Amino acid sequence: MQEIEVLRRQIEREKKARKEAEQIAEQKTREIYYVNQELLQLNDQLEELVKERTAELSLARDEAIEANRIKSQFLANMSHELRTPLNAIIGYSEMLKEEAEDEGVEGFVDDLGKIHHAGKHLLSLINDILDLSKIEAGKMDLYLESCDINTTIQDVLTTVSPLVESNGNRLEFVILQGVMRTDITKLRQILFNLLSNAGKFTKQGTVSLTVSLEAYHGKPGVSFCIQDTGIGMTPEQMDHLFQAFKQADSSTTRKYGGTGLGLAISQRLCQMMGGHIAVESVYEQGTTFTVWLPSSGSNPDCESVLPEEGSQSYLDEGHNTILVIDDDPAMLQLMQRYLSKEGYAVIVARNGQEGIRLAKERRPSVISLDVLMPGMDGWTVLTTLKSDPELAGIPIIMISMTDDRNLGYALGASDFLIKPVNRDKIISVLDKHIMERQSDSILVIEDDLATSQMMTRMLVKEGYRVIRAGDGRIALECVAQSIPQFILLDLMMPNMDGFEFVTELRKRDEWRSIPVVVLTAKDITAEDRMRLNGYVENIVQKGHWRREDLLEEIRNLLIGARTNR
Amino acid sequence: MKGMVFTSFLEMVENKFSLDVADQIIEASNLPSGGSYTSVGTYPHNEMIQLVVQLAERTGIPVADLVRTFGEYLFTQLIAMYPQFIQEHQTAFSILRKVDNYIHVEVLKLYPDAELPTFEYETSEPGTLIMIYRSSRPFADLAEGLILGCIEHYGENIEVKREPMDEGTAARFVLTERK
Repeated sequence: MQEIEVLRRQIEREKKARKEAEQIAEQKTREIYYVNQELLQLNDQLEELVKERTAELSLARDEAIEANRIKSQFLANMSHELRTPLNAIIGYSEMLKEEAEDEGVEGFVDDLGKIHHAGKHLLSLINDILDLSKIEAGKMDLYLESCDINTTIQDVLTTVSPLVESNGNRLEFVILQGVMRTDITKLRQILFNLLSNAGKFTKQGTVSLTVSLEAYHGKPGVSFCIQDTGIGMTPEQMDHLFQAFKQADSSTTRKYGGTGLGLAISQRLCQMMGGHIAVESVYEQGTTFTVWLPSSGSNPDCESVLPEEGSQSYLDEGHNTILVIDDDPAMLQLMQRYLSKEGYAVIVARNGQEGIRLAKERRPSVISLDVLMPGMDGWTVLTTLKSDPELAGIPIIMISMTDDRNLGYALGASDFLIKPVNRDKIISVLDKHIMERQSDSILVIEDDLATSQMMTRMLVKEGYRVIRAGDGRIALECVAQSIPQFILLDLMMPNMDGFEFVTELRKRDEWRSIPVVVLTAKDITAEDRMRLNGYVENIVQKGHWRREDLLEEIRNLLIGARTNR
Repeated sequence: MKGMVFTSFLEMVENKFSLDVADQIIEASNLPSGGSYTSVGTYPHNEMIQLVVQLAERTGIPVADLVRTFGEYLFTQLIAMYPQFIQEHQTAFSILRKVDNYIHVEVLKLYPDAELPTFEYETSEPGTLIMIYRSSRPFADLAEGLILGCIEHYGENIEVKREPMDEGTAARFVLTERK
């Protein structure tokens, strides 16, 4: 009985314990369920939140893209709007200055020179800022073409040498003969930047440019080494050298001028072209910048540097021949460089006797003659030539250290120049004596009146006949009336723009051979290039061109067109 | 105190003594729970003290001895329920060192309301492990029994010396491997 009672109690306890356990289990299950519900809800909320955030981000991204597009568009428009009037200011001031010089109004020459200089400075600032914005917006297009290294470098040196030499510096160079594939405009810009910097920061020293073939990581390329003996830089200054808007020292800007953007732009341009810039400098001793660019553009393995063949082979009969008589080898070299670039065939003579012999043999179109020479001097040569009936008709331009123009003219010289002679001067004098050019007519198509008038004046001054048209439609009528030898074309015009105009022009066989150069303030995109490709000879950016370059190009194209006819 | 300790205790009383003794101590203890326990429940630790006191009165065995013996028994029950702890450890020192920062952590995941004692370890001397027990309850004897049960399970020759500490709820166990 006792035992049964014990067992009964135990069973009771077990039963109670089981019920309690079941309750606990239920309670735990419920808790788990609610926690699970909470988790699900949290998960939903999170997903909702992620969706919201994603939508916000995507909207922000779209807005940013749109804002960037508007900014780029704004920049492109601004560049057009700014360059057009600035172009007129620069062009007119340059022309007025020359006129003032010719008429001997010395008082104006200086002031006009200042306007011209300030205009060009402003333009370079605008161009730098626009360039950098374009690079940073990824809008800078590369235009790779085959580039003659020697010619390009000579070009840059011609432009930069007055800048470098103005500080009493000597400019030395070792150039390579060859061809590389690159964006010529950008290469020029980089070299010009680095060379003018070197000149700016060096006084009474040496600036040298050495061009050499150099492979980098197995890729063939060309290295341009710009070395100066200038003020140099400290390691701290070199740290932020390539950063935009930072010169080595902010006081540098005040002392040396410039935007501080040149190096940043040069570096980014190099990188875009698949190259790089390195710098070494010793404070107060000098700086060396080394630019390396692949010789086959940014696309490797497609072309390597080829040695150039017969660079002087264009001395053919279609060209005007100039005989240069001078005992100074440097002068001969300089004249040869200036004139051959103008499309003239150049013959050089180192003394009077040789000059007379070559004049008889080659019958040049014009002779340039130095006065002071050992042995037979310029006066004797001039008299001899003028007394030979076969040679007396050749115009002779005397170049002298002393102003003896009256004697010169009395002895039959056609013109008289005093050393040092600048390139523009000698070329304009030569042009004056070469009659063939007089019949050339140029059609200027431009809607901006100021620009159109300026171009006209510039071309008329060079002896061309100019026809003007305000838009593409008018221009087509002009061409139909009389075919011009050359067309200078703006792109952005009312009624019929430049793109349409060239398309129309190229439809007619007899019009197809007229050379067209586009002169525009528009930022040329790769697409624009595609549209114009094959139709026009060259695209020149307003503000980026120099008068001499454009005139030279026109002369060359006219010579080319004549030779083809 | 976790229900599992109570169910194990009564099981031990039933096996080592008799069903009758178990019933007597429950009836005599006048327990709020009525002596019905489930391993998943939680009960006041005073009930355990009352049950042990009653058992000591009935058997004439000192409370401390009873509790220590229960600790040894409880260890065999624990490893039967959670064999993975034993599989992970090859020696008694190895598993004892894990009580505070691993086993108790796992217990709290299952029973967030469990009030567990803490152990501090000193292992400065090779072959010696010092464990300092601290609890809100006076169950150092139970801890000692569990330690002994563990050593017995691994069959190792380890001497356990217990040094009392100031507080009644704390104790210092010095475990030394015998050579």
